[in-house]
Amino acid sequence: MMKKIAAAVLTMALLLSAATGCNSFTGNSAEPASQAGSGAAKPTSVSFYLENEIPTLNQFAASDNIAFTVLNNISEGLYRLDMNDEPQPALAESCKVSDDKLTYTFTLRDGLKFSNGDAITSKVFRETWLEQMKADAKNGYAFILTDYIVNGQEYSEKKVGADQVGIETPDDKTLVVKLKAPTPYFLSLTTFVPYYAVDMSFYQKQGASYALGKDNLVYSGPYMVTQFDAASGVTLVKNPNYWDKDNVKVDTVNIKIIKEQSTALNLYKAGQLSRVKLSATDVPSYKSSKEFTTHTIFRTNFIQFNTTAEGTKNLNIRKALSMAVDNNTLVNTILNNGSEAANGVVPKSMSSGIAGKTFGSLQGTLMSYNAEKAKEYWKKGVEELGGQVPQMTLVLDDDTENKDVGTYLQSQFKSVLGIDVNLDSKTKEARRSLMKTGKYQMGLNAWGADYDDPMTYLQIWTENTNSFRGNFKDTEAADAYVKLIEEAHAERDTAKRADLLVQAEKSLVVDNAVVAPLYYIGSAYLVKPNVKNLVEPDSGILELKYTEVD
Amino acid sequence: MKKYILKRIVYLFVTLLVIMTATFFLMHSLPGTPFDEDKISSLSPAQQQQIYASYGLDQPVYIQYFKYLGNVFQGDFGTSTLYSGQPVKSILASRIVPSALVGIQAVLVGLAVGLVLGVVAAYKHNTPLDYLTMIVSVLGISVPNFVVAALLQYLFGLKWGLLPVAYWESYASSVLPSLALSFGVVAQIARFVRTEMLTVLQQDYILMAKAKGLSPAKILMRHALRNSMLPVLTILGAITVNVLTGSLAVESIYSVPGIGSLFVDTIKANDYSTILGLTVFYSAFYVVVILIIDVLYCVIDPRIRLAPAKE
Repeated sequence: MMKKIAAAVLTMALLLSAATGCNSFTGNSAEPASQAGSGAAKPTSVSFYLENEIPTLNQFAASDNIAFTVLNNISEGLYRLDMNDEPQPALAESCKVSDDKLTYTFTLRDGLKFSNGDAITSKVFRETWLEQMKADAKNGYAFILTDYIVNGQEYSEKKVGADQVGIETPDDKTLVVKLKAPTPYFLSLTTFVPYYAVDMSFYQKQGASYALGKDNLVYSGPYMVTQFDAASGVTLVKNPNYWDKDNVKVDTVNIKIIKEQSTALNLYKAGQLSRVKLSATDVPSYKSSKEFTTHTIFRTNFIQFNTTAEGTKNLNIRKALSMAVDNNTLVNTILNNGSEAANGVVPKSMSSGIAGKTFGSLQGTLMSYNAEKAKEYWKKGVEELGGQVPQMTLVLDDDTENKDVGTYLQSQFKSVLGIDVNLDSKTKEARRSLMKTGKYQMGLNAWGADYDDPMTYLQIWTENTNSFRGNFKDTEAADAYVKLIEEAHAERDTAKRADLLVQAEKSLVVDNAVVAPLYYIGSAYLVKPNVKNLVEPDSGILELKYTEVD
Repeated sequence: MKKYILKRIVYLFVTLLVIMTATFFLMHSLPGTPFDEDKISSLSPAQQQQIYASYGLDQPVYIQYFKYLGNVFQGDFGTSTLYSGQPVKSILASRIVPSALVGIQAVLVGLAVGLVLGVVAAYKHNTPLDYLTMIVSVLGISVPNFVVAALLQYLFGLKWGLLPVAYWESYASSVLPSLALSFGVVAQIARFVRTEMLTVLQQDYILMAKAKGLSPAKILMRHALRNSMLPVLTILGAITVNVLTGSLAVESIYSVPGIGSLFVDTIKANDYSTILGLTVFYSAFYVVVILIIDVLYCVIDPRIRLAPAKE
């Protein structure tokens, strides 16, 4: 009897593993990540990883940096960022901007083709953009087009037809885009994935199965997908139909999914990864390595104050709280992961709209740690509140990084201001819903840029629907802030516009202390010495077109 | 017997329905929506309305519930919002294979090694061999599987280069995760078998067998082991389910594209359909395993009758 059962179990298990096991493996790609090419014929490859699964490769559904990292390298837009983060003509050969800066006329290159041979014409762009403008575009990114293009909003809300949207195609090579207002960063917007070209006839034919597998996709970018599994990763090879294929140097790019930092480090040491992100605990042991490098992206973490809540409604209390925080200590001793101390909400390296000048060079010093002044403001604030010391609570996400930051802030408030601040850690969704309904005093929040312009940050404190605003509205100061942003939107002179934005940020961070910027998120990496020109723009979306391997 | 099994199957569906209902309403009472709130809030109210409508989320929860039930009865578990537009069924199907392979191997290895250790320990009761076995099983129970996983990865993968460090590329990729998961199983089974064997070995019929002059091996295999197997069977069901559902850490350490992390990821993202699909799958698996084990009881021990005797 026992034997029979044992035999049955074993057979079943064997059958199971035989039947299911074989085809679930993704095949061997364990060759060294970055081979040293001795001869020209030897194929080159690099290997990277993503820290979470690939949610989708459907451009109309992709909304996070993981999906964007893959899409950015298999698709192409009118422009693409170069190695210095400047937009350069890609599928477009050139662009003419009208004198009133409202009409952009793009001319496409000759003979552009998708990987399946379909021609890439101006109509492809028009149809892709119209699809993305639909309000129910799954990625929620309709606004990235409708905010700028004439009648985009109206089309999205189904008030006007497609023929009235400001995108025209006089011929197959010409795309005319009409903007609602002058937008100095419009060219850099066209380097963002939702603006890329999708083969719409293929998209329509595929229907619901579009992008579910590698055969349900068509490619316009430097690479195409030869293997795709959401949970284990993608393998990319050069796209033979890419217009600039001669400048794509690496033959194969492996992008794996690795969720454990320690696993990634082991794989890097075993030579199976070209780049690895270090955890804060690993940074000290590798800091002196030649392969060590750090990189910050356009994402700012900050304390959002609720300007109408108990305690934080007082300006002096808010000023005291923001001055009591020492961002440098936070970044260098607590986080220690390549992040940079924040000066304002807008990252320093963001473009100011003035050629060759970063926003940081105009900003001046906004955030500065000053314990003495913080104490003074606190005393003044408490007096204004009738001598009652307010009880403070900080809401934050329940992940390690936020908790570390929260604990540091707690200790800082205690030592500088002598107050006990409660930490209330919640899931991201729960924290957001608290902040959305305004039931908080202070919250740890973050915002990543959608495009390379300060407006991507400063505008969110003017929008009513946003949980970020901290009820900063309907007061004289808030109205003045909104006015600055509106003026900046209408301003056609780039220098004047930049100045308005500088004033706006100062009003937000210093004069009204609505937010206390903490740090610009960064990461520490090890990169194999033979990998060159690996570009990670400030958006955090990897750019692999220029990568080379010795 | 047949009647009993039929009845159990009906109960099984009732259980699943209750679980599904509870999960549905619990999920929908979590704060937030399946969408990225930061992005959604950049849309105008009219646009937001459209996006909710296209997922049917603008309707009252009870209507969504009945719609969902209707779909499930037609075998449609909906599409994921986290893995945009992918059918839940195909997501589950592709994730289960690696997890099942690793899990089944872990249970089989664990069962085989655990049985041997348990039997040896009981037979050599209160000898160094017994103590050694017990130390191994205490370690196996108290050291979390992710520690074992990391250690095996370092030794076999990085230091000695015998097996892949991670990834899911060939059969060799499944060896280390299975081993890491089997540690706990070995320990549990060994302890259980030892205790049971010790009890059984005290029984009169063992004495009887000895008196008959049967060889110790025969007594052990034919009389003692078979009678000790029953409790082992009881926990084997729970162990199998635990190994399959609790493989999160091991799967992420070895980058196995399995089902382990799906639960956490989808709950964080409020991906209602995938969570429901997963819950239904896990519960169905659990109740079916329990049913199978109940049936196996009678096979192993004919004294047990599941159905009430006819009067």
